[in-house]
Amino acid sequence: MPEGSRVLALWCMDWPAVAAAGAAGLPPTAPIAVTLANRVIACSAAARAAGVRRGLRRREAQARCPDLHVVTADPARDARHFERVTAAVDELVPRAEVLRPGLLVLSVRGAARYFGSEDAAAERLVDAVAATGVECQVGIADQLSTAVFAARAGRIIAPGEDASFLSDLSIRQLATEPALAAPDRDALADLLWRMGIRTLGQFAALSRTDVASRFGADAVVAHRFARGEPARAPSGRDPAAELDAVLDCDPPIERVDAAAFAGRSLAVTLHRSLEAAGVGCTRLAIHAVTANGEQLERVWRCAEPLTEDATADRVRWQLDGWLNRRTDDRPSAPITVLRLRPVEVVSSAALQLPLWGGIGEEDRLRARRALVRVQGLLGPEAVQVPVLSGGRGPAERITFTALGDEPVPQADPRQPWPGQLPEPSPTVLLDDPVELLDAQGNPVRVTSRGLFSSDPSRLSGAGKRDGVLRWWAGPWPVDERWWDPQNRGTGRTARAQVLLGDREDALALLLCYRQRRWYLEGAYE
Amino acid sequence: MTAAADLDVRRLTRAEQVEHLRRKMASVSAKVSAKVGSAHRGVSGSDDLISPAGDLLAGPESQDGTAPEQLPRTLPRGTVAVARGARSLTLGMVAAVTAAGGHAVIVGQPDAGLLAAVEMGADLSRLAVIPDPGADPVEVASVLMDGMDLVVLGLGGRSVPPSRTRVMTARARQKGCTLLVTDGDWQGPSARLEARVCGYEVTGAGRGEPTPGRGRIGRIRLTMRSRGRALGPVRAVGG
Repeated sequence: MPEGSRVLALWCMDWPAVAAAGAAGLPPTAPIAVTLANRVIACSAAARAAGVRRGLRRREAQARCPDLHVVTADPARDARHFERVTAAVDELVPRAEVLRPGLLVLSVRGAARYFGSEDAAAERLVDAVAATGVECQVGIADQLSTAVFAARAGRIIAPGEDASFLSDLSIRQLATEPALAAPDRDALADLLWRMGIRTLGQFAALSRTDVASRFGADAVVAHRFARGEPARAPSGRDPAAELDAVLDCDPPIERVDAAAFAGRSLAVTLHRSLEAAGVGCTRLAIHAVTANGEQLERVWRCAEPLTEDATADRVRWQLDGWLNRRTDDRPSAPITVLRLRPVEVVSSAALQLPLWGGIGEEDRLRARRALVRVQGLLGPEAVQVPVLSGGRGPAERITFTALGDEPVPQADPRQPWPGQLPEPSPTVLLDDPVELLDAQGNPVRVTSRGLFSSDPSRLSGAGKRDGVLRWWAGPWPVDERWWDPQNRGTGRTARAQVLLGDREDALALLLCYRQRRWYLEGAYE
Repeated sequence: MTAAADLDVRRLTRAEQVEHLRRKMASVSAKVSAKVGSAHRGVSGSDDLISPAGDLLAGPESQDGTAPEQLPRTLPRGTVAVARGARSLTLGMVAAVTAAGGHAVIVGQPDAGLLAAVEMGADLSRLAVIPDPGADPVEVASVLMDGMDLVVLGLGGRSVPPSRTRVMTARARQKGCTLLVTDGDWQGPSARLEARVCGYEVTGAGRGEPTPGRGRIGRIRLTMRSRGRALGPVRAVGG
């Protein structure tokens, strides 16, 4: 175990009750119980003194303590009130990790050196938290989970003494801390109790292989904990960097040229802060507020991290798009506040240009700029980029993705796809229901054996494409989705080609039979 | 299936049958790849057909690659042309331009079969599609002319007044972008192209009139006609 990997846990007892008291404006000394599903899950010290216990029914708790203040559980309230404790701890020792509202852990090594000793650091933390009006206990141990139990006992465990501290604890303690225990740890603790293993020390004395083979993976985690073996260190939380760039527009922007200037200066600000944080932005939200309080926002996604120029361009195009909308949802007043918010950032190594030639040739960038500009006019989904995909029909073999998204095909085109139609493909794709009739005028179906029920002779219901068939071929059945319960009982899927018209004025069509209907899928022209 | 019918099944072992069918399939796909290859040839070989060197956009050859000499294989850069009739014409143009390294965009044609363009040799990474350009597709096309080499503009039956077409023509010339207008009324283009289907070749359905129930569509035969200042009057039959 490396020297100095000591962990401090700070535990505020009865936190849900304390938070509820804070929310209701009561003093922490008042009798309070928090209930979930009509059972008490937490109560204050005063209530406990009056005989209220966890697991009691609400009515019974009120009977034991008549002036009990009962509130229902609210995890959001707990978290909200705990934020001020976290802030107070952060003032003193940064990068604390909150396990749950009411319990946080931090690496104590730096703090112990700074304040002189672990005891001094613990004392300062208790004082700092007490200044916010909350009582807490601190425990320090080698391991994170041991530290949590040390905090419940209010003890500082000497280095290397984890296992001996834990050995006297009841086996029931395995399941008491929800932040450390898996959901069915209760059952494990109960089972061990019934087998006569009453303390963690007895559990730790079992061999690892026996525990693993009899009780499963979670028991191994519990066993490591009981032996005081290393599990994980507190990871710490990184402060959320303030990357937003905001511009108060004075005078308000109502013309595009003014928007261009604003976009330029805002892009510079944003990229200074992105550079300082060492990141590049791949999704950028442009947010504008008008003088009448309207909120406009659009998120731009980019395959490559935005450069300063690209950001400025996007801001200008977006404002251009908003200010020059033709319809009546054009903003009714000029823009007063403009905000750029990086929604998704990547490490700025991705911004590094390759040595030879850069990300793309000049005309590729030129084409892309034109398309992005159209995105600004029509919306991000308007510009679609095709990519070859796997599939059998002509439509499903092309996947469309919005420009800027990663072009990922829906299915792998390199798979064999038996039943795929050979070249040539139809040049016009359609999807209209039609009727295929035989010589007697009865509708033609595809049987379960993949054959026509009778020879087709006429196409109807296709508007100007109606007519007598000069030639037909098929049906070519497609074995697709037979495993899908939704498709069960919807009959076969098959394709057929037909030729209409005379020799001079011919028209070839691709038909698809699915869900017991014929659809006109494409035309060869 | 049709090939199997041609075999004298009784006298061949199973392995021989499989080998025979494989060869038949290979010969069918060879025709197809010859067609794709010819689209590439049309692009690379376009230099010797064009008088001002390299300044022209390569157009499609007719579907099967045996285009007659007079066909408009190329459109000069910066022209506005109106295309009518069969969709193979515009898709072939898109295929030829993207295969040659240019960038193309299809505006207002949500039903274009891009797989057919891929089979003609198109490079999808240089192609974008704007299925619904909103109320004013001409405006969208004019923005796109900034960066594209070919803009295919489906007007959806709209008619564009001469005042706007003049502006667009000037813009196309200035930006060096070819505008191919379809499905609408456009005044004063520098070329008018028309393609018509004049027949289909059905593979594997016997000679002469194809027998129903056998074979499949193997090739589309097109007639192309073009008129215009840029090209001069030309009439040609392809296929």
